[in-house]
Amino acid sequence: MKFPYFRAPDGLDGGASDTALAPAPTTPAMRVPEVTSHGEPVGPTKIAVKNVSVFYGEKQALHEVSLDIPDKTVTAFIGPSGCGKSTFLRCMNRMNDTIQGCKVTGRIEMDGEDVNDRTVDPVLLRAQVGMVFQKPNPFPKTIYENVAYGPKIHGLTTNKSELDDIVHASLKRAGLWDEVADRLHSAGTGLSGGQQQRLVIARAIAVNPEVILMDEPCSALDPIATAKIEELIDELRERYCIVIVTHSMAQAARVSQRTAFFHMGRLIEHGPTEDIFTNPHERRTLDYITGRFG
Amino acid sequence: MTEATSTIAPARADRLKAGLKGRYARERRFKLYGILAVSVAIGFLVLLLGRIIEQGHTAFYAHEVTLPVYMDPARIDASYPQGTNFELLVAEQELVRLGVTDDAEGTKANAMRSLFSSELKYRAADIIRARPHLIGHTVTIPAPTSDEADLYYKGEISIETPADQRRLSDEQIGWLDRMKADGAVRTHFNTALFTKGDSTEPELAGVLGALVGSALMLMVTAIIAIPIGIGAAVYLEEFSAKNRLTDLIEVNINNLAAVPSIVYGLLGVAVFINWAHLPRSSPIVGGLVLALMALPTIIIATRSSLKAVPPSIREAALAMGASRTQTVFQHVLPLAMPGVMTGSIISMAHALGETAPLLLIGMVSFVPGVPHSIAEPTGALPSLVYIWENASERAFHERTAAAILVLLTFMIVMNAAAIVLRRRFERRW
Repeated sequence: MKFPYFRAPDGLDGGASDTALAPAPTTPAMRVPEVTSHGEPVGPTKIAVKNVSVFYGEKQALHEVSLDIPDKTVTAFIGPSGCGKSTFLRCMNRMNDTIQGCKVTGRIEMDGEDVNDRTVDPVLLRAQVGMVFQKPNPFPKTIYENVAYGPKIHGLTTNKSELDDIVHASLKRAGLWDEVADRLHSAGTGLSGGQQQRLVIARAIAVNPEVILMDEPCSALDPIATAKIEELIDELRERYCIVIVTHSMAQAARVSQRTAFFHMGRLIEHGPTEDIFTNPHERRTLDYITGRFG
Repeated sequence: MTEATSTIAPARADRLKAGLKGRYARERRFKLYGILAVSVAIGFLVLLLGRIIEQGHTAFYAHEVTLPVYMDPARIDASYPQGTNFELLVAEQELVRLGVTDDAEGTKANAMRSLFSSELKYRAADIIRARPHLIGHTVTIPAPTSDEADLYYKGEISIETPADQRRLSDEQIGWLDRMKADGAVRTHFNTALFTKGDSTEPELAGVLGALVGSALMLMVTAIIAIPIGIGAAVYLEEFSAKNRLTDLIEVNINNLAAVPSIVYGLLGVAVFINWAHLPRSSPIVGGLVLALMALPTIIIATRSSLKAVPPSIREAALAMGASRTQTVFQHVLPLAMPGVMTGSIISMAHALGETAPLLLIGMVSFVPGVPHSIAEPTGALPSLVYIWENASERAFHERTAAAILVLLTFMIVMNAAAIVLRRRFERRW
């Protein structure tokens, strides 16, 4: 039906194309103002991804992904293990740079600028794009030092009281202040898993990033801690562009406004979360969300 | 539990039980092997230490004889007291006191003199120099015994030994016994052992020269090997690209760690002494050679402890926008520090005990005195042990054991300091 080497620009491969209803290519004019099916407004495009492929040595981990990620919105990446969603997430703050033999092609434009451009310093990029990992990874330092670390290394403050204010505000916004106010100078690693994860989020937002990437932030947490983090994500959405990778489809449905489904290194389908979960266009999406594989 | 087993078919339950018995037996046996191995190790350690202490403890005290000496104005030159033969003076007076008449050659005076250390002369001269008005008076001087007399008082020379197999004659032993009976003999702590350098006379020989030499050498080793080793390891582990060249370097470092130490000694002679013309037998050359030897160990230990730092910490720092250098020096290296310290300390302890390379760079030569700089010739503790063990005087044997004890104590103190430091650096994550 199609030439084997043909690949749709929107990331849909030949095999999927017979059932795919490719989303119409979007232009900025069409994207703003967009409204999700929840009726919640979605911000302008923050990150525009065009034809991104990732190679680990000879192996191609991600195939020509194109996706627009709107600001002030939670975008969830779902898909089975090894589908490339984490790899894709790590492209956005160039964490893949640290992996030897990893090559990224295509364009990832943040506010119109390609993050892979030679003029973009990954250190500065990461000051704008915060990241939260699967396993809570606070530094083995005090709670205060954990949150103050980013502002310190980026020279965002000039004196101690400014730094105190940032630490206070960040912990407060991460919903952790009330729990740790009296022990700011005890070890961050002494907190519970859920608290540690919120500490890590506080650390990420202390440098006032524009984007927060979360790589399965709740997979190591119990349901109560998870609920707290999800609540937090929902609050943070008002200020930041949030991208979350999750294994839990229930979580994706709860916290995100937009969802992208990855499979075998390809972006299969993306759209408003409710559409993806209630009315997916793709057979594989349907199979995955109904638990037939993955 | 009984309910659960009853549901299992009898044969199956029996088989499980039989297997279980075997498993427990194996566990018990393994535990027994472990206890046995530990006991053997501890036994050997106790044997070794016990033997050394048993042999060496006598070196920590010595004997002196308190003698009244008439400072004969006819024989002492007040302006040049050190020119006086005090030893002979004392010996002759002692013979008179014991009621022994000497022959014309003064054979007995010589025999008596050999019971006292040559230190006697310097002590008497010091007294006269400080208080010349004592000339013409009788002064009581504590006279240190010679090594042989000291050994006799320690009970290591026996009158039962045939006279031709001991270096004290029956007559000398008789004198020593009489001095002891007079209550003139006193035991004291052998301070010379810790305040003096090496000497050809055992009673005057001390470990201080070697101790200072070893400390200076180790200082040079630590200053050179630890920063370079850690730097190399950090670069190789955190910054360098992984390619053929770094693989080759890695293989070579691992091989270098296994090179016999005497080869490093040869290298030291060739490079530091013959080519760079650094002073022979000096702590700087010793330290450089030992630093070369310690480097691979430090690099390997540092790299493995860097590898053991969880990647999540690296990711956390990088994702916060820390540069690679910041990540390494603010997060990874501090976490790896306990391992780095352990590696460094082990290699330093190795370096302290290393003897073979010192043979080649001339640190096993006889060096009296205590070094004041890293460029002066000196001995080292292990080489001192080697020299003393090979000395012909019997009194050196107990001192060999004592030197070993000093070496071991030095090592234990160093390791203890390292453990304290390690504790400081240790952090949880």
